[in-house]
This record gives sequence, C-alpha cells and structure tokens, in this order.
Amino acid sequence: MGLVDKGRMPKPLTSLFNLGRSYSLWVYQWGLACCAIEMGAAFGSPRYDVMRLGVIPLPASPRQADLVVISGTVTDKMAPAILRLYEQMPEPKYVISMGSCANCGGPYWDSYSVTKGVDQIIPVDVYVPGCPPRPEALLEGVVLLQQRIKNEDMGARWRGEGHKAIVRDPIVVGGGPVE
Amino acid sequence: MTRSWSAVAPLSDTTATTETDVPALPGDGLREGIVAQLRSDIGAGLVDTLVKPGVDVWARVATESWRDAGLALRESGFHYFCFLSAIDWLPSPFGRGEDDPSAPPPERRTEIVQGYTGGSTRFQVFARLTDIQRHVGITIKADVPDDEQVVDSWTSVFAGADWHERETHEMFGISFRGHPDLRNMYLPTDFEGHPLRKDFPLLARIVKPWPGIVDVEPLPGEPEEADTEGNGE
Repeated sequence: MGLVDKGRMPKPLTSLFNLGRSYSLWVYQWGLACCAIEMGAAFGSPRYDVMRLGVIPLPASPRQADLVVISGTVTDKMAPAILRLYEQMPEPKYVISMGSCANCGGPYWDSYSVTKGVDQIIPVDVYVPGCPPRPEALLEGVVLLQQRIKNEDMGARWRGEGHKAIVRDPIVVGGGPVE
Repeated sequence: MTRSWSAVAPLSDTTATTETDVPALPGDGLREGIVAQLRSDIGAGLVDTLVKPGVDVWARVATESWRDAGLALRESGFHYFCFLSAIDWLPSPFGRGEDDPSAPPPERRTEIVQGYTGGSTRFQVFARLTDIQRHVGITIKADVPDDEQVVDSWTSVFAGADWHERETHEMFGISFRGHPDLRNMYLPTDFEGHPLRKDFPLLARIVKPWPGIVDVEPLPGEPEEADTEGNGE
C-alpha cells in the first residue's frame, strides 16, 4: 500500500479501512490474575458474546494480534515480558488495561513487587476500572476503542503521530480523569 | 410429609463393621511417642517441644541438628514434606498500618519474643511434616544464628525443599548450606533487599502514608452522619 506508506490516504479509503480494522480486532488475552477469569467470562461466554462486536479473542500469537488486554496484577518481574509482548505486536496496535491492578496497582499499591500500573511500561488506550470490572464494562471499552479506530487518521498513525495523541488522551470506561 | 427411612436402602452393609475396624484417633500418646522417638534419634539436638493433646506438636532443634532432625523424622514415618519457611520475630519498626493515621502511634514493643518452644535468635526456620499413615503432623523449628544467617539445607532429605529454601533465601536472606542453586525464585534477579523481613521498608507507604479507612459510607437508607460533624470522617 504505497499510499499508506507515504501517509497520504484518500478519506473514503481511510474510512473503509478503519471500518474493516475496527470490526476485525484480534484480541490477545494477557491474563495475569483473577481478572483473567473475568476476561474469559466476558470474551468466551455466550452470554456476553464478544464476536458479535467483531472481536476475535483467539490469536495464536501476539504477532497476529491487533489488541491486547492486560488483565490482572502486573509485577516487576512480569514487566519485561509485557514489554516484549507489546513490541512483538504489529502496528497498528492497541492496549486495554483491565482492572484496578493493571490500571494503577490497585490493592497492591504498597507492594514491593507490583508495578503500579501497566502504563508505566506500555502506552494504554483504554482503562477499564473495577475490581474486577463487569463484563459489560470490558465490552464497553472495546466498543469505545472501535469508535476511536473508526475516526482514526491512518496516515498519521503510520507516521507515528497518532500514537502520541492516544497516549495524551486515553479512554476511561465510565469517565473520570487520568492522572 | 413423613419419610420412612426403612424404605431407603442402606448405603453400605453396616453389619460387617466391627470395633476393630475403627482406627484409634491420633491423640496424646501418639504425639508424645513422636517426641520420644525424635529425642532418641537426635538426643541433645532436641531443645524444646510442645504437645497440645489432640491438636498438634511443635519441636525446636539446635541449629546444627536441623538436617539430622529432618532425616530422623523422615525415617520415622513423616514422608510428606508440606513446606519450609522462616519467621522474623523482630517487631515491625513501621507499626501495623493503623486504621486512623491521625491518632498517636501506639506503644510498640521492641524486644524480640519468640513463639511456641521459645528461641534465642531473631530468625527461625521452620518446616511442617506430615505422616500420612498415622495422620499426624509436626512443626519443627530451628534458630538461625544472628551473626551468620546460615542453616543446613534439607534438599538432600526432601527434594521438594529446594524451591522452599530458594524462596526463604530471597525473602528472608537466610542461606542454606548445601543447597545446589539459591537463585531468586519469585523476585527479579536484581532485586535488592529481603521483603519479608520486618525491617524491609515499603517505599510506597513512606512516600504516601496509609490513608486509613477511607471508604466508610453510610448504608442505603441510613442518614449521612459524616458531614454533620463538620470534619469529615
């Protein structure tokens, strides 16, 4: 796609691509603690069927994934592995931080071993608060991310400009400020 | 509605059960016998014991008899190794994280008081063994010398002690003589300090003190009393 490489995309083509990208999100499930069970219930169960949103929670490898859900307690020992996971994912890539632990350390705010938020390692697009979040909250995070993808400027993203914008302005499910 | 129990078939044939089939419950005599056996095996290495009849038994052995005690217990039927860890008896210099940070700190004791079967050092290693034939367990302890925190390794007695000793090494800084590989188990390789020592500071709490109980809120239907006093909580 020479047009994308040059960062010049006709608007209709951008809309078409964004529509396709937003409804074929391959989600890598990075479950680290009890939120992993909740993520499995939200993504795998027929009650909260996530495939109807165009989300495919079954990539075989981070290299196939568009989106990773970091759900659970991130420890300092796990942090390098998460960074490697993120670097293995192809651009454009998105991160959902699920649960209080991945957002900010949660109840382990004073622990000697817990990283105080996965956003200290990798940029986060969507914060889903809760301990654990309801499945509806996680799915709302996915939907909000899809809306953002639909309005994204692919050319800017390709040039690396959109990425900075996302770091400055992450989505918080349910509202609220991000410090 | 009443139910006729005679109509229900018995789950098993109860007529075949005789009194000799019921095993005797492990009791006082059993645990006294364990202590006597251990004393005859390691002699003066057994420092102190405590038997709570029908409950449990504790034994403290000398530091140099730590491995011999494990070996003797294994030979006398304690084949199941539950776990091995350590205790830091130093009272925490940081307090206990009181609920109200504005209250004056309570008086804290500073002298070291050991638990059951006593002791004379700050650190003690302890292990839990179980005899799965006799359905009885024993907690065995040993002092860790204050000047050089080293005890003998149990890896040659119970292979499963390997990882427990690695964890004890990283968490308490206690070394195990004869352990094949005392790398860190859970902590990152370059971690400094021993987190389960009582004098290990939690930096987050020093930077931001424990806020106390902050999520006190009235139950639905109850009047809100927090703001009427004028000073929040």
